[in-house]
Amino acid sequence: MGIITGKAIPRRTFLRGVGAAAIGLPFLDAMSPAFAFRAAPPVRLAFLYVPNGIDMKNWNIEQEGAFSAAFPRVMKPLEAFRDDMIQIGNLTHNSGRALLDGAGDHGRCSGSYLTGIQVKKTTVDIKASISCDQIIANKIGDQTRFASLELGMDDSRQAGDCDSGYSCAYTNNLAWRSETQPLPPILDPRALFERLFGTGVVLSPEEAARQARYRRSILDFVIGDTKKLQTSLGPTDKRKLDEYLSSIREVERQLEKAEKENQAVNPGMDKPYGVPPDFAEHFKLMTDMMLIAFQADMTRVVTFMMTREGTSRSYREIGIADGHHPCTHHQGKPDLMEKVTQINEYHTRQLAGFLERLKSTKEGDSNLLDNSMIVYGAGLSDGNRHLHEDLPTLLIGRGGNHFKPGRRVIFRKETPMCNFHLTLMDRMGVPTEHFGDASGPLEAASLT
Amino acid sequence: MQARGRGTAPPPLGIALEGDLARRIDVALAVAMLNGFATKSEARSIAFSISRPSLKTAQIADVLAGFYAGRPLGGSAMIGMPEGEPAGDDTPFLNTLLAIKGADGTPQYTSNIRRPLDTADDCVLIRNVLLAQNDGNASIVLAGPATGMVRLLELYGSRPQISVKVKQLVVAAGSFPAGAAEPSIKSDVAAARKLFAEWPTPLVAVGSEVGTALPYPGSSIEKDFAWATAPHPVVDAYRAFKPMPYDAPAAALAAVLYAVHPGDDYFKLSEPGTISVLDDGRTQFTAGAEGKHRYLIVDPAQKDRVIKLYTDMVSAAPAPRGGRGRGAMPEAEE
Repeated sequence: MGIITGKAIPRRTFLRGVGAAAIGLPFLDAMSPAFAFRAAPPVRLAFLYVPNGIDMKNWNIEQEGAFSAAFPRVMKPLEAFRDDMIQIGNLTHNSGRALLDGAGDHGRCSGSYLTGIQVKKTTVDIKASISCDQIIANKIGDQTRFASLELGMDDSRQAGDCDSGYSCAYTNNLAWRSETQPLPPILDPRALFERLFGTGVVLSPEEAARQARYRRSILDFVIGDTKKLQTSLGPTDKRKLDEYLSSIREVERQLEKAEKENQAVNPGMDKPYGVPPDFAEHFKLMTDMMLIAFQADMTRVVTFMMTREGTSRSYREIGIADGHHPCTHHQGKPDLMEKVTQINEYHTRQLAGFLERLKSTKEGDSNLLDNSMIVYGAGLSDGNRHLHEDLPTLLIGRGGNHFKPGRRVIFRKETPMCNFHLTLMDRMGVPTEHFGDASGPLEAASLT
Repeated sequence: MQARGRGTAPPPLGIALEGDLARRIDVALAVAMLNGFATKSEARSIAFSISRPSLKTAQIADVLAGFYAGRPLGGSAMIGMPEGEPAGDDTPFLNTLLAIKGADGTPQYTSNIRRPLDTADDCVLIRNVLLAQNDGNASIVLAGPATGMVRLLELYGSRPQISVKVKQLVVAAGSFPAGAAEPSIKSDVAAARKLFAEWPTPLVAVGSEVGTALPYPGSSIEKDFAWATAPHPVVDAYRAFKPMPYDAPAAALAAVLYAVHPGDDYFKLSEPGTISVLDDGRTQFTAGAEGKHRYLIVDPAQKDRVIKLYTDMVSAAPAPRGGRGRGAMPEAEE
């Protein structure tokens, strides 16, 4: 390969090595023929889901239209991205409401979040519907190595009662391949790493530890291909490739560190082997790999359940020993309300770090964030009262120069969340006439 | 779909009301009447929508709904309103009502509905609340143009839900068995035609002749609301609608009464048949055993009984509210 040959490197080039190691490449200038029309980078979609609702008083920006005032507390960590996001108001998931099924708002809200339907109240014969991310994955997934990725950080149990008669399959999954088949999230960063770059085989903790003693970087395995490719690249592409490979190496280092820490903290733990004990570190690892997957066009569709719906996880990292879920049922008690706000704020701080990394990842003339649609939100608004209307929703990124961010857009009350899903599916090149209880896509003029 | 409510007895019938509040005072009276039935646990008001896009109408609807929901004046209810730009649809009565000042010189009736965004799409709202009702335990009363009901029909997947959830649709519009074109029909002939042709449940029409024969007595406004120690929005709406004294044609009240008590012989019922809509907006009833439509016929022997019930129900004080309250959510059966 020469520097300028007029012949482009295929977009789906892999650096291959011994074994099954294969590393996809980021978007390089050399992937477009010289002086030819440069293809637009693909649009990516990720849903980042947080449980138990959000402190809406500290979430909603009061003023409609262009952001002008300072962000409220929970949004504050995202100030640096005010020109990159749309805060959407009044989206509703009617399917999450009781609708005669009694208690179980947590089970319903996550079950319906991307499926758009009222899930069956059961712990046995689960029934939801194909989720919108999977509708997209089914249509465009053949263009990437993975049709979609399902990530999580908390709990991937698929059986048992997780909320008043609702199966854990509803609270612990966002993505559903069919009405009876949820797609459990990958929780363990090591497992995700292996999925992205390796054989896909998840090792037992013992085997993983044994191998780790002799572990070399995956980059070592593909060094031959890397060198060959480097000779055919111009200086800009070379730098891009170096940065990209360094980011993979950095993920490896983080993984090794997490694995060492886990061994030190609790050698007999039943926690997945590569899961860092610290929430922020875990989040960073998962999102670093999500970023790499997007950057190398390994997938364009990701669902990420930051923690399972209804979780009672504590946040000792920020001094909160109480469980998240109990805190949200604060009944107006200021100390508990404050803890909820702090947890919500902690989550948006992590999100900000991810957004920063997306934004600083150049892609063609733009950046990865511009070419993405990062949807951050929850299946409940007020977790204390279990409200399913005005769901907290951020659309971050421009979806490939499509959306016009930097503002708050409020739709009419009871606007189905599924209308938003239709809009996203359309932008992903999968126009869909009907989905869940949608009454039609969101009014385009409001977002673009 | 099955009835899945807890407990043994189903809750009272849920009524979703959609009406042309800006042009028909009987719609405001119908809101009050539903409250009266609610105080007796004979019905539940599950949704209230207005028939045309109009911000001021939505504000008045909010004031009425808020009043009966026990919220202080100026609250905000979930009001349904059709899609479309509110333009030129404000009637003088709305301005008069909103211009009434309290003792302190500030507007007596205010609403938190300040923009169309503060309302819900009427068809989505009604669809959503219907899903929260036991099968067959809801009826819809329409006292205005059929535009919104037709949009409800056209919502993807809604027809089977309507068939299961809705006991009947009672339409306070048209004239029967034949008569002059009635304004609610005339304002959207195409929608009315589609509604009568395609609505999947039993449908009972209440013509303008019923409303005229059984009006709401203006004298009730003067004497039956003495209990109200604070401003009463229905009383003030009635006064603002037309110079007093007058008796208001009240087809919407007959429609609510029939929806709540279909078997209580307040009215006679036509034989089954089919209602069609002519190009000029006139309605025509054709008898036929297979037809899904009927229309109400005034029973002169019941006139006093009906009017007495009207005034008792419309002038009832707001039903006491219990429970923890769930904001502006549509009312479910739980």
